[in-house]
Amino acid sequence: MKFYYFHLMPYVMDHDEPSSWVTLPNRLYDPAQGRVLYNQYLDQLEYAEQLGWDGLCVNEHHQNCYGTMPSPNVMAAMLVRRTSRARIAILGNGLPLRENPLRIAEEIAMLDVASGGRVISGFVRGISAEYFSTGVNPTHSRDRFYEAADLILRAWTQPGPFAFDGRFYRYHFVNPWPRPLQQPHPPVWCPSQGSSETVEWAARRRFPYLMVFTPIRRIAQIYGEYREACRRYGYTASRYQLTVNVPIVVAPSDAQAEAIARKHVMWVFNTGLRMHPPFWRPPGYMTEASLRRILQSPPPLPSELTFEQADREGYIVYGSPATVRDKLRVFADELQAGIVCSGMNGGSHEATLEMMQLFAEAVMPHFREDAAVDETAGIGRPAPSLSQ
Amino acid sequence: MAPARREIVVRGTPVHLLEDGAGTPVLFLHGAGGAGRWLPFQERLAKDFAVSVPSHPGHGGSPAAEWIEHISDLAFHYLDLLDERRLPPVHLIGASFGGWIAAELATMACHRLRSLTLIDPVGIKVDGWIYPFLFAMDIPEVVATVFHDPMAALALAPPDQSVETLALQYRQGAALARVAWNPYLYNPLLRRRLARIGTRTLLCWGAHDRLAPLDPCGRAWAGAIPGARLHVFGGSGHVPHLEEPEAVARVVAEFCRAAEAAG
Repeated sequence: MKFYYFHLMPYVMDHDEPSSWVTLPNRLYDPAQGRVLYNQYLDQLEYAEQLGWDGLCVNEHHQNCYGTMPSPNVMAAMLVRRTSRARIAILGNGLPLRENPLRIAEEIAMLDVASGGRVISGFVRGISAEYFSTGVNPTHSRDRFYEAADLILRAWTQPGPFAFDGRFYRYHFVNPWPRPLQQPHPPVWCPSQGSSETVEWAARRRFPYLMVFTPIRRIAQIYGEYREACRRYGYTASRYQLTVNVPIVVAPSDAQAEAIARKHVMWVFNTGLRMHPPFWRPPGYMTEASLRRILQSPPPLPSELTFEQADREGYIVYGSPATVRDKLRVFADELQAGIVCSGMNGGSHEATLEMMQLFAEAVMPHFREDAAVDETAGIGRPAPSLSQ
Repeated sequence: MAPARREIVVRGTPVHLLEDGAGTPVLFLHGAGGAGRWLPFQERLAKDFAVSVPSHPGHGGSPAAEWIEHISDLAFHYLDLLDERRLPPVHLIGASFGGWIAAELATMACHRLRSLTLIDPVGIKVDGWIYPFLFAMDIPEVVATVFHDPMAALALAPPDQSVETLALQYRQGAALARVAWNPYLYNPLLRRRLARIGTRTLLCWGAHDRLAPLDPCGRAWAGAIPGARLHVFGGSGHVPHLEEPEAVARVVAEFCRAAEAAG
């Protein structure tokens, strides 16, 4: 199993505002505190490489305290120069949110070249609230995503200059300098929330699929659909196409881990993902089929998720090293997921570093039967027959 | 009396409409959330006119139409409908979002109109005003923004909270957002074009409209359409035809009859 350290870079705070997204007044952000946090978080990611994590993950979110990386490529750039071995996974850039997505092709290529080919490029639509903070029309989200992805992949692989004439994006000259180092292009991952359309799209292109903060039963169901789609497209999904993203808390005892999880992990759901209800559901962001699926068995609002429910349904992994090993075994054996992507929060910077060390020493070594495998070999690039 | 329900096809696009009455044709274009409603306002007008109330594509009983990407597509859709039904010049009435479509249509082809009535229309950029963003509001906030008397909102309340009803509301929101998310509720090109409207025009405005207030929005419309008459309804917010249906219907009917008498 491969381990990727996933950072949200939250601005952890308690507040009484109705929404942690879009409208949370930015006077509540203290830049001096932000400076401390950014540097601690980057230290944690660099430390993760030292401890043996295989990849370091950053991601894009806007106007919120849940994750303060409006530009994940900026954070990735800082990591490129301070690390030397780990993969740097940008999970991902919100393609439809850009007016000029060619800029993503350029920035990822810059990072890939400078890092010596260590970049993984996540393609995402951006979550619902981001259509309120960017002004992009949510009814265009899916079509802009497909078109921008097509543009970026062609910019990386098709000799330039060439013209691109899309519905949303038009260029007379597509000819990015630099080109990416990895060939035919950096691996593309699809972090998603499980819409059947995205599952199909990713499976068809052999792009790894990643579910974020989802109960384990739903992950199992969506992975089944993804594997089935891969079979329909004539191949068997590699375990490295399936990544589980789950918060992990490890401590010397189960009781200590539970206390940390109750406080610090539940903050992510209860406060970090507290949202004014309309921000969850901008018009046309989902297909009507996806909407009906949600309406038929509505998931709990993260802000109303209790620790007990999160525990029962497998939103989180916590415990002593032995307990965490058992829980991760389920991902490895039953879900056949090849990559675990997780962040940690011990409550303070020092406690987080200690937790990371405990995990690296007492959990990670038990899952290293694939230590010699390159999880990105042949992954995240379309089969030659499909390339354009 | 219940209106007739009809399903027609306009240049390949299915349309659900309600119709009743006899006389000069009236085409009523509903606002967001008003699809498929036959309310006292329409009933009163149907006593004097042949009233036709189509649901916009993606609203009410009309399925969504993928080809509609811009507000002008909706205006052309209704020009197609006038052609399809071989209607002589009509009295065109539009409320709110429907008023926007009606105004776009009038800038294109006012020879197809006997008269134009706009009830608290949106659709133009008004200096000093930003329309409150209904897409970011929950239901109580929307009601407080749109209605002067919240009780009047009951007329538009959904029948239940079933999956079907919620899916319909989502489809309607998406159909509106396709053409109105950004720029929000206006076409930057429309205001200058309003000067082209040569049809007799009545502007009905709720004195307490909080979405598109009389001042500055109503005044801007009155100044932009040549010869437009502005009638203010003192007991209404954004939807006077729902809040004071009798009074608005009376004023509109008199206006339409006067337009006919004047030729």
